Amino acid sequence: MQVSKKIVVLGHFGVGKTSLIRRFVEDSFSDNYKVSIGVHITKKVVEISVGHEISLILWDLEGTDDLKTIRDAYLLGTHGVVFVFDVTRPSTFQGLNTDLEIVKSKMPSLPLLVVGNKADLVVKKDLEEVLSKNAIATDFLTSAKTGDAVNDMFLKLAKLLD
Amino acid sequence: MLKKYQEAYTTKNVQFVLTDLAGNILDSDQTFLPINKKGTIYDVHPFFYCFSSIATDLKTEVFFSCVHLNFDGKAYITDIKFIKKEEGVLIIISDYTQHYEEYQAIAQARNESIINGELIAIKNAELEEREKFKNSFIRNFSHELRNPLTSIISITKIISDTELTDQQQNMLSFLKESNANLKLLLDDIMSISMISSGRLVLRNNVFSLPQMVDLINFTYKARANESDLQFDIKTDKKIPEFVEGDRLRLFQIITNLIDNAFKYTNSGKVNLEIQFNQKRANKISLRFEVKDTGIGIPEDKIESIFESFSQLNQSSLKSKGTGLGLSIVKGLLHLMNSEIKVQSKPGKGSTFYFDIVLKQPIPNMTKPQVKMVAKKKETILKLRSDKKYKILLAEDDINVQTVLFKLLLDTKYFSIDVVSDGALVMEQLINNEYDLLLIDINLPNVTGDQVARLIRDFPFKNIKNIPIIGITAYAFEDNLKTLKSSGMNAILSKPFELEELIEILFKYLK
Ligand SMILES: Nc1nc2c(ncn2[C@@H]2O[C@H](COP(=O)(O)OP(=O)(O)OP(=O)(O)O)[C@@H](O)[C@H]2O)c(=O)[nH]1
Ligand SMILES: [Mg+2]
Repeated sequence: MQVSKKIVVLGHFGVGKTSLIRRFVEDSFSDNYKVSIGVHITKKVVEISVGHEISLILWDLEGTDDLKTIRDAYLLGTHGVVFVFDVTRPSTFQGLNTDLEIVKSKMPSLPLLVVGNKADLVVKKDLEEVLSKNAIATDFLTSAKTGDAVNDMFLKLAKLLD
Repeated sequence: MLKKYQEAYTTKNVQFVLTDLAGNILDSDQTFLPINKKGTIYDVHPFFYCFSSIATDLKTEVFFSCVHLNFDGKAYITDIKFIKKEEGVLIIISDYTQHYEEYQAIAQARNESIINGELIAIKNAELEEREKFKNSFIRNFSHELRNPLTSIISITKIISDTELTDQQQNMLSFLKESNANLKLLLDDIMSISMISSGRLVLRNNVFSLPQMVDLINFTYKARANESDLQFDIKTDKKIPEFVEGDRLRLFQIITNLIDNAFKYTNSGKVNLEIQFNQKRANKISLRFEVKDTGIGIPEDKIESIFESFSQLNQSSLKSKGTGLGLSIVKGLLHLMNSEIKVQSKPGKGSTFYFDIVLKQPIPNMTKPQVKMVAKKKETILKLRSDKKYKILLAEDDINVQTVLFKLLLDTKYFSIDVVSDGALVMEQLINNEYDLLLIDINLPNVTGDQVARLIRDFPFKNIKNIPIIGITAYAFEDNLKTLKSSGMNAILSKPFELEELIEILFKYLK
C-alpha cells in the first residue's frame, strides 16, 4: 500500500473548494453551485517524482465563514491544509489572517497553502493590488474553471507532505 | 403529524462492522452497504483511511456526522461512530440521507442568497464608482468646452458687426444658431451632472407665479405662431400670486416640458394648465400639466424617455433640443420630492404632469425677490451717457482677453486695462482709478476670489468699494456661493453673450 496523506480543504462557502478538487481529480468543472454539507472524501494518487507515488486523501469540507465551528473530528489525523478564498468576494478574504490563526491553532505546525481561487474572473494586476492592500499573502492564485495552477498547487502540497 | 419527522430522523439503515486494530474486517451485518468481509476497512471507502489515526489512540469513541459515502454508484449521507471494543473497533454507520438532503436544501438557499447579496453589493459599488467618474468627467469636460465656446460666441458677434455680404450674413446666422445650440447642450449636460452628483442645491425664494406664467405665455405664443401651432395657458383662480420655491428650477421644468411638447407636435396645440390641488397650513399643492396633440409615446418607450440622451424618434426631430430635457425634469422633480407622470396615446398626443408643494409666504413678505428678465433695450440706452468708464480686466486666457477687450472697446463706453496675473491686480488698482474690476476666477498665482477678499479688506474706500464682477467656467451652485462670499458683486458664467455682460456691468457702474 502507498503512503497516504490526508489533506483538508477549508474556506468560506462558495469559494470553489469542491470545484478545485473536482478539477484536480476528474479534470472537469461545472458552473452549477451545489452547496456541500458535511464532508466528501476522494482519493487521488500522484507521482511526486519519477516512480515515487503517494495517495492524497482529500477532505472537502462544508464551507463556513466561522472556522471555529468546524467539527474537530473532521480534522483528526490531518497532514496538510489548503485554505481557499474567493478573489471576487472580499467577505471571503477580509478576515483571512484571523481565519488562518484559527486554522493554525486547531492544527498546529502543519503544511498549509493559502489559495485565491476564481482568478479567471479578475485582472491579475488589480487583484494583486487588492490583496496587498488587505495584507494578504497567497501561495497560489488558481482557477478551477480554466484549471490554472490547480495541479501545481496540489502537487506542491504533496511534496511538502512527503 | 410527527410521521414525516420520524421518518427523517430514524433510520432502518444502521450497519455494524467490527474490525481489529489493524483494520482487518472481522464481521459486517451488511444492512445496506455490501462490504467485503475478507478485506480491510481501508478498501471500503477513502473515508476509512482515517482509521489508522483513530485506532492508535482511541479512548472510548469518535463520532463523524454527515459523511458522504458512495457505494456501487449510490450516494449515502451517513453518521459514523468508532467505538473501542475488546476485539478492536466497532464501527456503526447510520444512513441519514433523507434528513441531510433536507438540510442541504436549506443550506443551498441560504448560501446562494448570501452570495447573491454580496455580488449585488459589489456590483452596486462598482456602478457607483463608475457613475462618479462619469459625472466628474462630464463636469470637467463641459467646463473645458466653455472657454473656447465663449471665444467662438464673442468672435461670431464681432464678425457680425462688420460689413458682410448677404451670403456671409446668412452663414453667420447658422453659426450663431449652432453656437446657441451648443451652449444649450452644455448647460443641459451641466444640469444633469449636477443633479446626479447631488451638487445641485435648490434655492427657495418668493416669486410671482402669474409673472412667470406671463413670461412663458409670451415666449411660447411667439414660437407657436412660427410653427402654426396653438399655445394656451389655463390657470386656476385659487392660485395665489406669490409663492415660495425655486423659481429658476420650476421654470426650467415647465419650459423643458413645453419644449418637448413642441418638439413632438406637428399640428394642433400645446397647452399648459396649472391646477390648485389643496392647501394645508401655509403649503399649497399645485398640479402642472403640459398637454400636446403630438405623435405620442408607445407604451414600451415611456420608461426610457426620461433617460439621458434618449430621443423618441430620431428621424422626426424637427427642432433643436438636446434630448436631455426630460431627464433633467425627472431629476429636478426628484429633488423637489415630486415625480413626473405621463399619459400618452400614440398618434393622439401626450400629457406630462406633476404635483408640487410650494410654500405660501406670509402676506407682508410677498415682495418678489427675483426680478423679471431685465429690459435689455433700456440698459443699452442708459449706456449712451457721455461718461466713459474705466475698467480693469484681469484675465489670463489670451483668447477671452482679446475678445472681451475688443467687445468692450467697440461699445465706446469703456476704456480698459488688462492684466493677466492675479498678483498684479492690487498694484494696478492702487496706481490707477477704476470704476469696475472684471476678473477671471481662475487666475494664476492669486485667484479671483482671493483678490476680491484682499480688496474688500483694503483700508482705502475708493479701492475697497470697487464693484467686482467674477467670470467663471465653474458655474456650480456651491462654487457660486463661496465666490459671492468673497465679496464679488456678481458672477458671470462662461459662456456669456455681450448683452449679458453689458447688462451686468451697467448694473454696478455708477
Ligand atoms: N469562474 C469561476 N467559477 C468558479 C471557480 N471555482 C468555482 N467556481 C464556481 O463557484 C461556485 C462555487 O463552487 P464550489 O466549488 O461549489 O464552492 P465550495 O467552496 O465547494 O462551496 P461550499 O461547498 O458551499 O463550501 C460554483 O458555481 C462554481 O462553478 C473558478 O475558478 N472560476
Ligand atoms: Mg463544496
